[in-house]
Amino acid sequence: MADKLATLGFRSFLSHQFLKRSVAAVSCRYANTLSNETVEKHRTSTLAHDKEQKEEKKISAPAPPGLKHVHPEFLPNPTFYRRDRIKEKLERQDMYRRRAVCPIPEFYVGSIMAVTLADPYASGKTNRFVGICIQRASYGLRANFTLRNVVDNQGLEIRYDMYSPLIQKVEVLRLEKRLDDELFYLRDAPAEFSTVPFNLEAVSHPPGAPVPVNTTKVKLGPRPWHERWERRNLRGVQDLGLPEKFYEKAKKVAKPWEEYDLMLKYRTSINPQETDEVMDEVAEGFREIERKRRREKLEKS
Amino acid sequence: MVVSSRSLSKLFTSTSRRRFCSKAEGLSNAEITKKRNELFGREKARQLALITRVEKIEVEHVGPPENCRLLMNKGLSTPFNCAMHIQENLMSRSVLALVNGQPWDLHRPLEDHCELKFLHFKDEDPALSNKAFWRTGSFLIGYTLERVFKDQHYVQLCSFPRPRVETGSFVYDAHLGISDWTPSQAELQCMSRVPAKLQFEDFKLERLTVDASLASKMFEDNKFKSSQIPFIAAKSKTGHSVTLYRMDDHVDISEGPLIASTALINRFNITAIHDIESEDYGSLKRVQGLSTPKQLPIHFWNYGILCERAAKLNPAPMPAQWNKEAMATRNNA
Amino acid sequence: MLRFGIRNRPRRLSKAMGRKEDGHGTGPPGRLERMTIIVNSLVRHERIEGSHQYMDEARGYTERLLQIAAQGDKNHEAMDVANYWLKDKDLIHKLFKVLVPRYENYTTCATRMWTLPVEYPGGKNKTSILELKGNPWPPVVPNPRNNSKSLINVLLHNAKKDYRSASKDGTPV
Repeated sequence: MADKLATLGFRSFLSHQFLKRSVAAVSCRYANTLSNETVEKHRTSTLAHDKEQKEEKKISAPAPPGLKHVHPEFLPNPTFYRRDRIKEKLERQDMYRRRAVCPIPEFYVGSIMAVTLADPYASGKTNRFVGICIQRASYGLRANFTLRNVVDNQGLEIRYDMYSPLIQKVEVLRLEKRLDDELFYLRDAPAEFSTVPFNLEAVSHPPGAPVPVNTTKVKLGPRPWHERWERRNLRGVQDLGLPEKFYEKAKKVAKPWEEYDLMLKYRTSINPQETDEVMDEVAEGFREIERKRRREKLEKS
Repeated sequence: MVVSSRSLSKLFTSTSRRRFCSKAEGLSNAEITKKRNELFGREKARQLALITRVEKIEVEHVGPPENCRLLMNKGLSTPFNCAMHIQENLMSRSVLALVNGQPWDLHRPLEDHCELKFLHFKDEDPALSNKAFWRTGSFLIGYTLERVFKDQHYVQLCSFPRPRVETGSFVYDAHLGISDWTPSQAELQCMSRVPAKLQFEDFKLERLTVDASLASKMFEDNKFKSSQIPFIAAKSKTGHSVTLYRMDDHVDISEGPLIASTALINRFNITAIHDIESEDYGSLKRVQGLSTPKQLPIHFWNYGILCERAAKLNPAPMPAQWNKEAMATRNNA
Repeated sequence: MLRFGIRNRPRRLSKAMGRKEDGHGTGPPGRLERMTIIVNSLVRHERIEGSHQYMDEARGYTERLLQIAAQGDKNHEAMDVANYWLKDKDLIHKLFKVLVPRYENYTTCATRMWTLPVEYPGGKNKTSILELKGNPWPPVVPNPRNNSKSLINVLLHNAKKDYRSASKDGTPV
């Protein structure tokens, strides 16, 4: 805010100390936003002009406890200058509506999935890809996942926006978890670890049953690798078999104190109270969609 | 302030204009005070001589600066002596003591093993200190009345009502040897100078419990007090003792604890003298006063407002001869 | 959820642990070490005074430590965190057995900060007091006294009452 006012030629009396060392782009973005406290104060004020203030939808029941792990894309972005409660709420509403049209099943990194896209140039106008999910990233409507497969000896990764209207169908052929949150090391592993046949039969997963954990330890190929895997504390790989100096350098470069940096963890995640509130709202959103779907079904029949 | 000598001439000149009473009997307040003082002193010495063997008592002091246990002398040591062992602050600021929860004069000897607390004006609940201060105010009006007038005006103190701070003034009902007198501001201010000087003297208010017969002897010249003494004595624990207080050379009867010393007083004003009619005692004068303690400073403007209020007639009940019904329904002050 | 406002970014505290022999500063690990020292002494003494910047940073860490410890000493993660943050091991016992039960039902934060006045002409580092609520020390700011029963106040209160009732009646005051 101080920078922006300074460029306009005004002397700023509002010196936000914590913005002193921030990037100019960030401070500009921050300058045009209102803090959540200000917005809430005005929204809930009795003197508000808008008399048709929308009432908060009542939460009929709390969300099941593990919901935030099943649908992590509903959680807000922890980066403070990307927080905007209204934007998050609106996005979540869009996400429920999209899911009503194209349901996205439960999946985790390591699950084998098949995604059918709308493709105007393909025969049958659809494009189906099968692969192992190696990453789940981003928040809100930008949420994406990456599928990896090896086709004709060529490793192939496709990143899909989960809420893209091009997606016609998302199937989970085999629901399972792996030992790591990201499986990028498959790029440095032999092809057999990433190959998934396109005609893989779906393995049904009974609802309510615990998600199986695939404990295979991948054997990586010879170096050079895409990343220094010895610095990554991977659990899903076999012993890397590197000379000692690699591990010593890894220790030198490592930041073991960050594990105990409580405030860093607090700032890079959403606190449990807010997570619970969001997930309760999400569960309520799902219920609402389910009710609508049933109503439409009844009307049709 | 310029004081007209003419206005004061009524009271303070030697040529008497009105004789009301008793010059013929040879009584004057000064002589009577002297007599009472002597009797008091003699009785005090006699009571002290009764203690032949010094016994020790354990006194548990509770409160700031620290809880402690003291070994004091039975019948000789006072709470003030205990304070001397603990802290100078306690000596200078204490008004009353609480001995086993009962209010106790600071210079009254301790009788037995007890728990001791000191009270001052800045406590969270200074009700007892305030009452004691108000009672002392009345006592000091009595002191003033018995010495401020010339010898031809024989003042007979009647009694003072229970202290009530909310009324804004303390009171002494007395028969002044003057009739048809409305005091002017100058006269009241003149009268006030006597007790106002007491703050610079560290006169202790000493307590003594005497037999009713001795009390009657001391107050035989005061028709009001002598009629009251049998009732006072009957109400006491032993059935025949009367509590006396002495300050400087003035002796008076009072039941409750008074403050430790006149050094605790800051200002003192006689604010008004009203004419009152009592059923039992006839026409009397109600002398009203106002005082504030040194520990609680007050701005002169505020004090002036309180003085104006203190000049209004105090709503305390008229002095009355005690009878059995009155004694039965008597509440504690 | 921390029940007090925190800064969006952490303070660097680059000189937290002074300089090493090679002349370099101690960097982020030194910053965290300084925080552990402050949190340790806060848990021990329950009220400490120091530079405002350090106290403010340490406040967040203390609150988080208490929130994590509230999971119980049987919890492996809580014990691990407590072991790192409290260098004196007797304080781990105090944390789980004394502090966690104390703050169990608190709806406010467990710590309190007081900013101390700066001596004229100023320019020195602002000092603050960081204390755990419910500590055994006398309050930093004394509890307000009720002096309404003091003699002067009683007299003035009654004089005021008199004046008001008289002016209401219309009688001349």
